[in-house]
Amino acid sequence: MSATETGGQASQGAVAPLPAPGAPGAGAEAPKSHTKRTLLILAGIWIAGIVVLFLIFGSGGRNNAYQPQNEFKLDTWINLGILSINKAVLYLFLAAIATCVTMIYVARRMQARPNKVQTAVEVLYQLMRDNITGANLDEKMAKRWFPFIGTLFLFIMFSNLVGYIPLPTNTEHKIDIFGLHIPSFSLYAATANLSIPLVLALMVFISYTVEGVRAKGPIGYLKGLVPGGVTGGMAVFIFGLELLSNVMRLMSLSIRLFANILAGHLIILFMAGALAVILGISALAWFTIPFGIALFAFEVGLVAALQAFIFATLTAIYLGGAVAEDH
Amino acid sequence: MHIALITLLAATEEVAKAGKSIGLGVGGGLGAVGAGVGIGIIFGKAIEAITRQPEMRDEITQLQWLGFALTEACFFYGLVAGLLAAFIV
Repeated sequence: MSATETGGQASQGAVAPLPAPGAPGAGAEAPKSHTKRTLLILAGIWIAGIVVLFLIFGSGGRNNAYQPQNEFKLDTWINLGILSINKAVLYLFLAAIATCVTMIYVARRMQARPNKVQTAVEVLYQLMRDNITGANLDEKMAKRWFPFIGTLFLFIMFSNLVGYIPLPTNTEHKIDIFGLHIPSFSLYAATANLSIPLVLALMVFISYTVEGVRAKGPIGYLKGLVPGGVTGGMAVFIFGLELLSNVMRLMSLSIRLFANILAGHLIILFMAGALAVILGISALAWFTIPFGIALFAFEVGLVAALQAFIFATLTAIYLGGAVAEDH
Repeated sequence: MHIALITLLAATEEVAKAGKSIGLGVGGGLGAVGAGVGIGIIFGKAIEAITRQPEMRDEITQLQWLGFALTEACFFYGLVAGLLAAFIV
């Protein structure tokens, strides 16, 4: 109750800063009940829609023709053997172009008084420099690896974000617009395919191994895997464990990114209507769409940037760990 | 006993389907349980830490999001295993 009240007063203050001085109580009362009424009406429409749609359409029975996993199937568009162009390649190019164009555009037009885009990019730059590389690597390493880690961060973030824009890429189903057959709109992301996160993780794995070998020599690097002070049979055991965990890093890095994005896309797909199509209940689509919108906002607002941040931070931590003197 | 076995063999496909459904349910469900507990602990501890030392808020928040994402990933490992069981194996 008090939250609604303060919210109502704040919005009233922002929208109409000069209420009539004679009636402050009435001025504070009106927006609160207005917001409340709008919310109630929306909820009413939502519930009534569920009931009405269910009464009109009922249940159409299970639909076995629709296969949700086909939304993530990669059809070859242009056959070039191993370099064939498909949906994932298109998204990869889109993400790469978006990264390059945005960053070069902003870098060319640097101004002393930044506009909104430049401010946002500067915030990102500061995050990459201070929080991701600066906090996890020493000064020399940070200077050397900042471009790599920064590019990883930006590329993954743009790749995730591009994935949430509906693009006409689903060649399995076509829609007619004025007689023009275009592929229907769908969500897909390059990172929702295991191969791309896996390649990124391989790049990270190779970089930190090479960096560690360069800093300590091959024997020194392998010795450095075992923490100081451990000797005898225990050291052998821990060495095996550490080797295993190095390989597991590949899996965890790639699967974390891939599964986060894939699960996000899957749940948006189901909430935005796939569930209703499979079960054949039209009212279900109306029921799930608010959850779909909320999840979409969650994925775009938090998960896309957070996963890029995690990937870049872990890269920096691994690089720092590979050259650290003491394990 | 014999009849039960024969019926079971006849329904192998149904059993396989049921097994796949169970795999998906266990993978997704138990993964969600573990990750849920972990995320709860992380946010609880972060709130505790910030109330004790409000001046370290920024650092704690960063670590909190790192821990959140690492823990949340465990849910997806379970989910991926479930999806593998349901659709690929």
